[in-house]
Amino acid sequence: MFVTAFLFLSYGASPWQAYYALFHEPFGTLRGFGYALVRTSPLSLIALGTIVSWRSGFAYLGFEGCFVLGAAATSWLALLTGPGERVGPVSFFLFLPLAILFGFLAGGVWAGLVGLVRARLGGNEVLISLMANYVAIFILQYLVGGPMRAPGSLPETRLLPRTTWLPFILPGTRAHAGILIAIAAAGLVWMLLQKMPLGYEMIVTGFNAAAARYAGIDVARRILLAAFFAGGLGGLAGMVEVLGSQHRLMDGISGGVGFVGIVVALLARLNPLAAIPTALLYGGLSVGADAMQRRASIPSSITFILQSLAVLFVLAFDALRYYKINLPGFSPRTPPPVADEASR
Amino acid sequence: MNGPQFVLSAFVVTWLTASLRLAGPVLLAALGETFAEQSGVLNIGIEGTILLGALTSFLVSYYTGMIWLSLFAAVFAGIAANIFLAWMYVTVRASQVVAGLVFNVLAVGVASVVYRKALGNSAVPESIAMFHPLHIPFFSNISGIGPVVFGQTILFYLTIALAFAAHFVLFRTNFGLALRASGENPAAADSAGISVSRMRYAGTLISGAAAGMAGGYLVLAQVGLFRESIVSGQGFIALAIVIFGRWNPLKATVAAMVFGACDALQLSLQIFGTRVPPQLLLALPYVVTILAISGLFGGKAVQPTALMTPYVKD
Amino acid sequence: MKHTLEMKNIVKRFPGVLANNNVNFTLQAGEIHALLGENGAGKSTLMQILYGFHAMDSGEIWIDGERVHLGSPKDAIALGIGMVYQEFMLVRRFSVVENTVLGLRERGALLDLQRASEELKELSNRHGLALDPAAEVGSLPIGVQQRVEILKLLYRDARLLILDEPTAVLTPQEKDHLFAVLRKLREDGRSVVLVTHKLNEIMEIADRVTVMRDGQAVATRAIGSTSGQELTRLMVGREVNLRAEKSIRKRGAPILQIENLRVQDETGHEKVRGLSLEVHAGEILGIAGVDGNGQSELAEAVMHLREIKSGRVLLNGADVTGLSVAKHRGAGISYVPADRRHVGSVTEMTVADNAILGLQRKYTRGLFRGIREARESALGLVARFGIRTAGIDFAAGKLSGGNLQKLILGREIMRGSAALVVEHPTRGLDVGAVEAVWGELLRAQQEGKAILLISAELEELLNLADRIAVMFEGRIMGVVDAAGASVEEIGLMMAGIMPGSAPAAAGPAQEARHRETL
Repeated sequence: MFVTAFLFLSYGASPWQAYYALFHEPFGTLRGFGYALVRTSPLSLIALGTIVSWRSGFAYLGFEGCFVLGAAATSWLALLTGPGERVGPVSFFLFLPLAILFGFLAGGVWAGLVGLVRARLGGNEVLISLMANYVAIFILQYLVGGPMRAPGSLPETRLLPRTTWLPFILPGTRAHAGILIAIAAAGLVWMLLQKMPLGYEMIVTGFNAAAARYAGIDVARRILLAAFFAGGLGGLAGMVEVLGSQHRLMDGISGGVGFVGIVVALLARLNPLAAIPTALLYGGLSVGADAMQRRASIPSSITFILQSLAVLFVLAFDALRYYKINLPGFSPRTPPPVADEASR
Repeated sequence: MNGPQFVLSAFVVTWLTASLRLAGPVLLAALGETFAEQSGVLNIGIEGTILLGALTSFLVSYYTGMIWLSLFAAVFAGIAANIFLAWMYVTVRASQVVAGLVFNVLAVGVASVVYRKALGNSAVPESIAMFHPLHIPFFSNISGIGPVVFGQTILFYLTIALAFAAHFVLFRTNFGLALRASGENPAAADSAGISVSRMRYAGTLISGAAAGMAGGYLVLAQVGLFRESIVSGQGFIALAIVIFGRWNPLKATVAAMVFGACDALQLSLQIFGTRVPPQLLLALPYVVTILAISGLFGGKAVQPTALMTPYVKD
Repeated sequence: MKHTLEMKNIVKRFPGVLANNNVNFTLQAGEIHALLGENGAGKSTLMQILYGFHAMDSGEIWIDGERVHLGSPKDAIALGIGMVYQEFMLVRRFSVVENTVLGLRERGALLDLQRASEELKELSNRHGLALDPAAEVGSLPIGVQQRVEILKLLYRDARLLILDEPTAVLTPQEKDHLFAVLRKLREDGRSVVLVTHKLNEIMEIADRVTVMRDGQAVATRAIGSTSGQELTRLMVGREVNLRAEKSIRKRGAPILQIENLRVQDETGHEKVRGLSLEVHAGEILGIAGVDGNGQSELAEAVMHLREIKSGRVLLNGADVTGLSVAKHRGAGISYVPADRRHVGSVTEMTVADNAILGLQRKYTRGLFRGIREARESALGLVARFGIRTAGIDFAAGKLSGGNLQKLILGREIMRGSAALVVEHPTRGLDVGAVEAVWGELLRAQQEGKAILLISAELEELLNLADRIAVMFEGRIMGVVDAAGASVEEIGLMMAGIMPGSAPAAAGPAQEARHRETL
């Protein structure tokens, strides 16, 4: 906190003013809160994806890619139903489930490919998913620069038909139904992990693949499934953003949310119930940062610093308190210098 | 030489020259990262470190115009930034992936803020002082490969020299043996009287220094400017090169050349005006990387056994 | 008499445990001194303090009449102290000479492997520990790896060698060889501390023995003036003859049949070579053999946790060879693996969750987990097997080795399977836990289960098994009835020697003979 206060000062603004702007806008005003909710939806979906995959032992980092491809798939579907297009205007109640399906599948298959590489070939999913993000972004750039491009010089599609937009839920704001989808997803993820045998198996796989195999769990299948679900959630994030907020597909639509979502999941200690509140905090902060930039002309990227420092400090305190975040394959293992724990 | 032949050879020359040029920074970062990983640390933060190194070298060059000073400043920045990371990895024993990732986000923020602050409202300069390609006398006149191999900047040759030096240090010195032991079996190293922590700090700081220098390389020998997107995943490519090069500096050099070639291919094809969508070629290096580390070509069994496992002494 | 080493009033606390409670220990030059005690007695801690691996809370250490401070292994090495851990501290990927040279400071920055190799060769010949300096350690058999460990110490001219349970991984013949080496070291004027719980070995080789119990040094005796009984009594505080109450039981039909099994390990080496066995209902068939002769591969293959190259596994006449692990359990085979912490359980999860490990598909209510039933089952398990835990919602990792083993064993027994494969169940457990585990295995036998017991402890096999098969290099050397078996005969087979024949790997003719005796 002090560090950022220092930074604020260097811009010739009073830290109090800056903090006020940071928090007041998203949590004190209705409009700001609406914007915060808008940001929260994709963030929490990606956080949920992170939770599902990481807790299953699959350290997936490719949510940028899933997001982008999910957005692309739903945009394509939406454009199909525009007036004058092949399919023509379609009832929203028909469109929505299809959109969810498309978005989920796009992200799920994308992540599933990486899961396949990991499960069958033993590739390192951390690095592969990072690389794959760039490939996905290039695919997006190609699409909005070529086949899906609207007439004009900007790399973006036409405005999506009104009938495909997610309904606004908070009058006077731009908050849309995406947050409801996120809440539903959080509930489903919680149920999966806590209450279903599949979730039990995934968690065991995440803790200890050898023990999982011993228990008769098909580790490769579980990892694949985890990848698919996680990617699907990432794809949903893209869908929610494009149908609820942006209403068109464009280059740069992700804005790094694929990574911020991971950070949110970490701050939420990989607990699905904490994902949405934490995402709300983050979403709010970024809204506030924009406000701060407008009012006090402090660049909003300062929030990057704020956020990362927060995570790093939490990490450091956590580890120092010996409460280790149990990440797949990364938990510290004590090498036994002597036989078992009993010999001392 | 008739027309088409001339075009072809010009193409190849341009392509190869660019390959080597582009391979340089990534190789440099990979060399440093090899040390880190051989000691047992996966330092994903080199992506952010390269960015910080690039920024530092740009600013120093902008204000002083002295390129060697800028380079050293970049190295220094890389080391300084990685002190915190090393602390997180080794002493705090936080998850290496998480710490590295978050550090990258932090680096983006810091770079953005500092860059805007430093430049303020002044216009972005056309270019800053840079390293220029050396033309080694006589050798660079050999037709064909002459200008390609012997017309690179001094940083390139420095990097190649460092590759040999790295190999020597890793495999022919006591320090290298102790470092590798820390990454293979830290308990054994500890019982032999080696400080595993110290080795891992060393490995991380070396990767930081190299990454910082790689950032300087990017700015001072390739682009001539600073952009926030100047790194754009090359740190991750360096990580892939370490794996592709089987944690061996000399093999990593070959791997880096392959990547440079892919990257350059995209540039060269554009210059020569082909109908292929640019994104396809831009994606090529990343796809090749993925294939390389997918396990299709083996490699898992060769990695340092204790990579990514923090060492906890009872 | 001048003491080379004196440890006075050593105190060391770990969270929750007083590992060393005012311990006094002395050592003379040219002496082999055994440190005897059960698991948890504190002997390893004491030695780790001596080696500088741990810092003592209070106490003094004197070497050759001078007070010393041992802050790290480096200090110990400098003073001529060396330690061979039970789990070898070797870098498998490095060569012998690289491992030897690791950590040496005086040689300067550059590695001179050539010179070191020559020195190593000379040293190894002098002490009768033949070695190839360039060999990759990971590819060497365990007995040879131990030689590397000892040579490492001699290369640094260690005058005081500490060996932690050195014979745990050796055949009887390798053990003899080791003892010969130790005797030679003693002649050289060096001192050896032998940390062990094997009484017969102590009586064989040691000069003096110090007994530790519950963190205290209870007594020190010269070997000539004490007996096995007295030492056991000092070690456990009561006379114990570990003998299991076995009632004779008629064996039933063959339940588990293994036919001509061939299994490879990850590097393509064949670890199980055409092995055939039969385990009957109500019978415990023990498999003796030094670790590394294919026993784990056999156990894993039977459960299909490992690919089988050829051969069959039959349960109650049905071919289960290729079935998935889950189906194996369903068909009626249970498995207690050797590694209780990293395979048999998930230490980060609760006791309740571990109690249904492998059974998660059974405790379901429609789509959801039947959490209440699972908890009931867990509570039942804890009660029936006497598992001491603060509660079923605590992490299983907090259980002691014995209780964790009981949890795993109990879980596998409660499945009601017809066959049970058990691997090294009492490794690292104290006497009380060993007795408990033995009791459970015998009870399971009484219930008519067919039990395949793999163990490196001959005492365990002699006590529990009806028949003992000896495994060497992936083959069965012979099967003997436990009642009339001689340790010598078994020991020879463990080393690959058929009693009464020249030492050679079993050829096809002998294999045919073995099959007949099964």
